[in-house]
Parts: sequence; C-alpha cells; structure tokens
Amino acid sequence: MSNDPEKLISLRINGKDISAPRSHSVIQALWYAGYPRVKGVGCLQGVCGSCRVLVRRAGSNKVTTELGCELLIEEGMDVHFLIYPTPPHQSYRLEEIRSSWEVQAKFHEIFPEAEHCRHCAGCTSTCPKGIDVERGVELASKGRFSEAGELFVECVMCNLCQTACPEMIAPNHVALFSRRVTAYFHIRPSNLINRLELMRKGGLKVIE
Amino acid sequence: MAKGIPYNIALKHYRAQAERPMPQTDFGEELLRQYHPDYLRERCVDLTVGPNAGDPCHRQLAEVLQGDARIDEADLAGSPEVETDVLVIGGGGAGCAAALEASLAGAKVILATKLRLGDSNTVMAEGGIQASVEKDDTPQQHYEDTVKGAHGELDRSLAAQMVMDAPEVIRWLIQQGMQFELDQYGDLMTRRAGGTSAPRVLYFRDYTGLEMMRVLREAVFNSNIEVWDYSPAVELLSDESGHCAGAVVSSLKDYKYILVKARSVIIATGGIGRMHLNDFPTSNHFGATGDGLVLAYRAGARLRDLDIFQYHPSGLAYPPHLAGTLITEGVRSAGAYLLNAAGERFIDELKPRDYVAAAIIRECAEGRGVYAGDGQGRPSVAGGRTPGATDGKCGVWLDTPSIELRQPGIIEKRFPKLLHLGTKCGIDPRKQPPLIYPTLHYQNGGAIIDREAASTVPGLFCAGEVCGGVHGRNRLMGNSLLDIIVFGRRAGQAAAKRAHGFGRGPKKITIEHLRNFRRELMLANMPLARKSPLLFPAYAKFDVDSDYDGLRKTAAAGFIND
Ligand SMILES: Cc1cc2nc3c(=O)[nH]c(=O)nc-3n(C[C@H](O)[C@H](O)[C@H](O)COP(=O)(O)OP(=O)(O)OC[C@H]3O[C@@H](n4cnc5c(N)ncnc54)[C@H](O)[C@@H]3O)c2cc1C
Ligand code: SF4
Ligand code: SF4
Repeated sequence: MSNDPEKLISLRINGKDISAPRSHSVIQALWYAGYPRVKGVGCLQGVCGSCRVLVRRAGSNKVTTELGCELLIEEGMDVHFLIYPTPPHQSYRLEEIRSSWEVQAKFHEIFPEAEHCRHCAGCTSTCPKGIDVERGVELASKGRFSEAGELFVECVMCNLCQTACPEMIAPNHVALFSRRVTAYFHIRPSNLINRLELMRKGGLKVIE
Repeated sequence: MAKGIPYNIALKHYRAQAERPMPQTDFGEELLRQYHPDYLRERCVDLTVGPNAGDPCHRQLAEVLQGDARIDEADLAGSPEVETDVLVIGGGGAGCAAALEASLAGAKVILATKLRLGDSNTVMAEGGIQASVEKDDTPQQHYEDTVKGAHGELDRSLAAQMVMDAPEVIRWLIQQGMQFELDQYGDLMTRRAGGTSAPRVLYFRDYTGLEMMRVLREAVFNSNIEVWDYSPAVELLSDESGHCAGAVVSSLKDYKYILVKARSVIIATGGIGRMHLNDFPTSNHFGATGDGLVLAYRAGARLRDLDIFQYHPSGLAYPPHLAGTLITEGVRSAGAYLLNAAGERFIDELKPRDYVAAAIIRECAEGRGVYAGDGQGRPSVAGGRTPGATDGKCGVWLDTPSIELRQPGIIEKRFPKLLHLGTKCGIDPRKQPPLIYPTLHYQNGGAIIDREAASTVPGLFCAGEVCGGVHGRNRLMGNSLLDIIVFGRRAGQAAAKRAHGFGRGPKKITIEHLRNFRRELMLANMPLARKSPLLFPAYAKFDVDSDYDGLRKTAAAGFIND
C-alpha cells in the first residue's frame, strides 16, 4: 500500500481540531481522537441515513452533504453533524385510496407542494446517493409513479433533499409514496396468490 | 499467530481465472472444534444468578446479563410518568410490525427506539426473506429445512408457526407498500440459499432490508403510533405480582428518564453484534448491544442458547474503516471462490456458514492468509473492531472476478451494493477481489417465547432477533427477516389483546425486581461494577460524555454537592 493508511490527517469536526489516521471515516476519526459520538450514528454502512454531515474541503467554499460513516477524512476538512432528521409533515394511509384510479388525485392532496417544484436541482445536488431527485418529483407529479419510484431504489431516507427544498416538498416521501402505491395496487403475483388460496382452504398443513 | 503474505505481494500474484479446482481436503467437525469462535476455550461460563442460573453463556454476554442496573429508586422519584396500552421497545422490523398491528387493533401505542427509527439490523439485510410460494415447494419443506439447519435443537412449534405464516406475511408486506423482485409475468422471483431444498428466498435487489425498513417506517409515521426516537429503554417496570408493567426510558435529547406505564410491553431490540464477542468485527448496526436481553433477564424472563452465535464468512477485512461490513452470501451462491494468498481454494464455498468461517480462520491462523495490517500494531478504532482486536487485519480473497469472467455483467446486475462497496474500498470487484474475514453477524439464541410471542413473564412480549428458539442453534439465510415480521405481528396483536382485557389502568409500578436481582448478585459475590444494558459500544464513549450526565445519577448528584 503506497498510501499509508495510518498516516495522520488533521481536520475539524463540529468545531474540534482533531487528527486521525487517513483510513478513518469521519465518525471513526472522532472516536479515535477521544471524542464521544452517539447521536447521528446508525448502521455505519451507509444504508440507514442517520449520519448526515455538512462538509467543506480545504481551499474550497463549497459545502456538500455526505454520510459520515462513508466519508473518509481529508486534510483540512471542516465537518458538521446534522442530527435529528425531520419527520414527515404530511400524513396519508394507503387504505384510504380506494382504487388505483384515484392515486393521482390523492397524491396532489397529500403533497400539494409537489407541483410547485422550481426545478432548482437543490435536492439532486444534495443527495449523497447520487439520485436524480428532481426528476423523481417531476415524474410523480405527472402521475408516473412506478417510474418515479424506480429512481429511488438506493434512497436511504436521510432527508437531506427535504432540507434542501425551498418549496418544502419532501422529495423522499414523494418517492416513497410512489413506490408504495406501486406495490399496494400493482404487485399481484400469481404464485403467491395461489399459495394463499390453497392455504385458506386448509391445504398444506405442517406436521411437526 | 502467523502473519500471512503482505497484501501488495499477494495482490501482485493474484490472477483472475474462471475455474479453479475444488480442494480435496475435508476436515469435518474437527475444523469447527479447532477454529470456530464458538468452540474457543474459556469462551463460556455458567450463569450464576437469574432465571438461567447454571446455563452456559458467552463470557461477555454473562457480564452484562449479570451486571448492575443503571438506575435505582432515586431516579424514578422525580421522573415524569406516561401511560399507554402497549409500549414497543426497538424500532427495527420486528418493532415496527408489532406497533402497526397493535395500533390497528385499537391500542394506544408508544414506540421507543434507541436512535433514529429504522437504525437497525433490518435496514442492512441484503439477501432476502424466505416464504414457500413456488409450486414445487411447501410449508412442510420449509419447516424441515429450518429444523435441519438448526441441527434439530429448536422450538418446533415456533418454526411451524413461522413457515405457515410466511405467505401471508409477504402479502402483508406488499400491502404496506414493499416491492419484491418480479419476473416478466409479475410473479415473485425466488432463489435458493444455503440449506433450502427449493428456491424460496424472495428479495429486492441486494436491498431487501432497506426496502422493508423504509416502507415500515413510513407506515409507522403515517399512523397513530407515537414514536419516541433517541430514547433507549434502560429498565423494565413491574407490578406487585411481578408482571411486566412498563419501562424506564431515557432521552438522549433532554437527558432525562421517563416512566412509561404500559399494560403490555414488547421488546424488539435486535442483536448483540456491537458487543464484539471474542473481539470480532461485526456486520451489525451501531445500537446492537444486547440491551433487550438484559432488560428481560432482570425482569425474570428465561432465555436460551446463549453460547452460540453466527459468524458470517464474508465480512470485509480491508480497508480498516469498513472492517466487518457484510458481503452478501449471494456472491458465493453465484459461484465466487474463496482463495488464500497463494490463490488456492481451501473449502467448498457453499458449506454451511460455520464451516466456511472456520476454514477462513484456519487459513489465516496458519499463515496462508493475506496480511493487510499496518505493521505497527496500532490499535484501530474501526467501527467494526474493538481496539486491540486480535485480527481482522488478515483475510482471504473473495474471488468476485471469477464470477464476472463466467457471467459478464452479473455483478452490476445482481449486486449493485457490492459495486458501491467496492467504490468505497477503492477497488472494482469485477477486476480485483475484496479481502474478507468472518464477521459477527447474528444472535441465534435469546428470550424464550410462545406462538403469541409471550415471554415467560406475564405482560412481556418479545419479537425478532432478541428471541431464541425459532432458529435453534443455527439460522438459515432469509429466515430472520421472516421471523421478525411473523412474531412482530403476533406480538402486536397479542399485546393489544392483553391491554384490552385489562379493565382498570396499570397497577402500582415498581422496580422491586431490580432490588431482588441486586440482592442475588451480592449473595453470589458478583461484582457490581459493571453497569448494563450497555446501550452503546465502548468506543462511542457514551459513558464519559458530559452531555449525558443527566442520565447518570452519581455524576449528577456529585455535581449538586459541589
Ligand atoms: C448486514 C446484515 C445482513 C442481513 N441479511 C439478512 C438477510 O438477507 N435475510 C435475513 O433473513 N436476515 C438477514 N439479516 C438478519 C436480520 O436483518 C436481522 O436479524 C433482523 O433484521 C433483526 O430485526 P429486529 O427487528 O429483531 O432487530 P433490529 O432490526 O436490529 O432492530 C432493533 C431496534 O431496537 C433498537 N434498540 C436496541 N436497544 C434498544 C434500547 N435499549 N431501547 C430502545 N431501542 C433499542 C435498535 O436501535 C434498533 O432500532 C442480516 C443482518 C445484517 C446485520
Ligand atoms: S433521495 Fe433524499 S432522502 Fe433519499 S438518499 Fe437522496 S437525499 Fe437522502
Ligand atoms: S429542491 Fe424542491 S424545488 Fe428544487 S428541484 Fe428539488 S423538489 Fe424541486
């Protein structure tokens, strides 16, 4: 390994100047330097979306958003944790949508902001998973729910896109709504249904 | 321990090659006895106090089960009280399923979880969930596979309940809005896993758990369930007859305790990976510290199988900051070889997990592994490793380029998460093999429950990985995601039913059981120094963080006296 993973890197995290080996993530660097860190930590493998951080790199004014468990430290980095993601403000129940014909109307009732999207791409540029969030909102607004939902397969619900949106749209919840209605109304696998029918009629008991 | 061949040298010698011969050696049981961590000498002790006194238990787990409570009466005195029908502790798959069912049954539900709702092992699951839906498969076959996987030492009635509920659970998940991989006709796709006699694993890419968790979390947020995040439970409450009557919940937001009086309590706190048993790295999430086991045990619940854990063969060994990260078994199922530093296969890669893990440990212990250490012996604070861990710096190749050679494009199509992981490690797994070493993955044992998920303490239900018996001494891949929804739902329904039948509100609540337990510890001459539940792994330094002084009576009291 030409790049020694143990080489010490200096950076600032939540206002504290620390140094840690270069092979460490932001969270591990804090622990390494002896600082406690509990809030904003989760799966530590980039799928729970808890460890959102704001990052400014040396020599740059640009602030980016990333996941602290995935982000390797760099010399001169300035990092801030964003804890407590906001819970969704809209509320809906799938059972209240009586048929798939009504999904679009319901969508605009639940997410009235969605059609006000300014196409500012704020959401897309903040997404640590590289999802085309803006496009997802647009597709959902047009009623193309299954297509919209497809874009969000890797969404970890970190809520950063929601924080970034000037129109108070919650793009990740728009996306999840799109995915959920697709399953709720359109996934009807015949192999599963046959099995359920057979079992309902009392077939296929288990003998212990 | 022999060090092995340095990473750079081994990598230089590595050549991608589609086929390599299967090794002829078969070590059988001897391999497990010599190298599997469950067989390490001095690993186990007999429990001295509590409902399982006399039973074998992993040494580190015994320390927390027989630890002293974090709180006593003084903490309860000034704390606010809240009442509810059902209190669910833990916001992973089992907890959310339980809360949703209890709420649907009309109960008032509070769900308290340690960190953010959905920070869990559930969100990380990749491979899939078992349910017999194919024509050439039956619940009976599913049952028999489960029994066989468990080496017969399981609670048969729980396994039977699980396989019979499986198809309905999949329907329920779809109705919550969860997607599955479908074929061109819209049927559920199925695949095999180690130990299944028919294709039975349903999945969504290699993101099955992520898809499940975000859907269940959204369903919970869009319900009447009251969610308390950043609220780890530290103890249960009991009533005068010793029944469970609620819990003491701490808040990481305002650093206070709250007493939740509940007619039924459901523990769904998941596993123990972050206890780093035997100094192993882990695939588990940050909050998997075995708290539920401690809470239940002190309240008098019986546990089982506390001496066996699942070590998944393919945890990432390098780079250090990702040590322990899981690479799904699907990669080996797809035909990826395991190679030592000399580029030789050393075990049938599709043997049960315990054999494969033991074989990897043997290669490393005997110096045939690849060594990726820093050469300075500096303890690492990697998320997946305790400082001073024995290894994790040594590993073997998971020969992903071989499957890509045989089936070009397979990695991108079937294992997007692996590609993403490769990017984080700075390698392309289609060309360069990742270095792996076994990782602490799953708690096989846990709280004893019945078909309604009731523990041996009235009023206390348990669901999910915190329970034992469903998988006996070894779990099949895909059976855990199933188990957590089956028994999560059952726990929710049974807890709501009990709450309805309660008549007047909860009775007088106490922590009498803590006092009794402490007395037992003292009589047995056990040290009272160790506080439990752990709540967080030691390297997060929760217990020295001055932010949390409000949750430490002694520290707070000292402050006032100053
Ligand atoms: C990387 C990985 C891959 C896996 N892949 C598969 C797979 O493909 N198929 C399969 O079937 N199984 C798989 N498993 C196993 C399976 O995911 C877990 O066993 C299962 O999800 C556990 O669910 P649970 O709800 O019981 O616990 P969890 O999902 O872990 O949830 C427990 C919750 O309780 C909370 N909690 C803990 N302590 C407290 C406390 N004191 N107070 C309040 N809350 C607390 C936690 O923060 C967490 O939110 C995998 C596991 C891992 C780690
Ligand atoms: S879409 Fe939004 S919530 Fe999802 S990962 Fe991207 S920024 Fe996070
Ligand atoms: S941030 Fe909001 S307004 Fe801007 S593109 Fe995204 S959804 Fe539209």
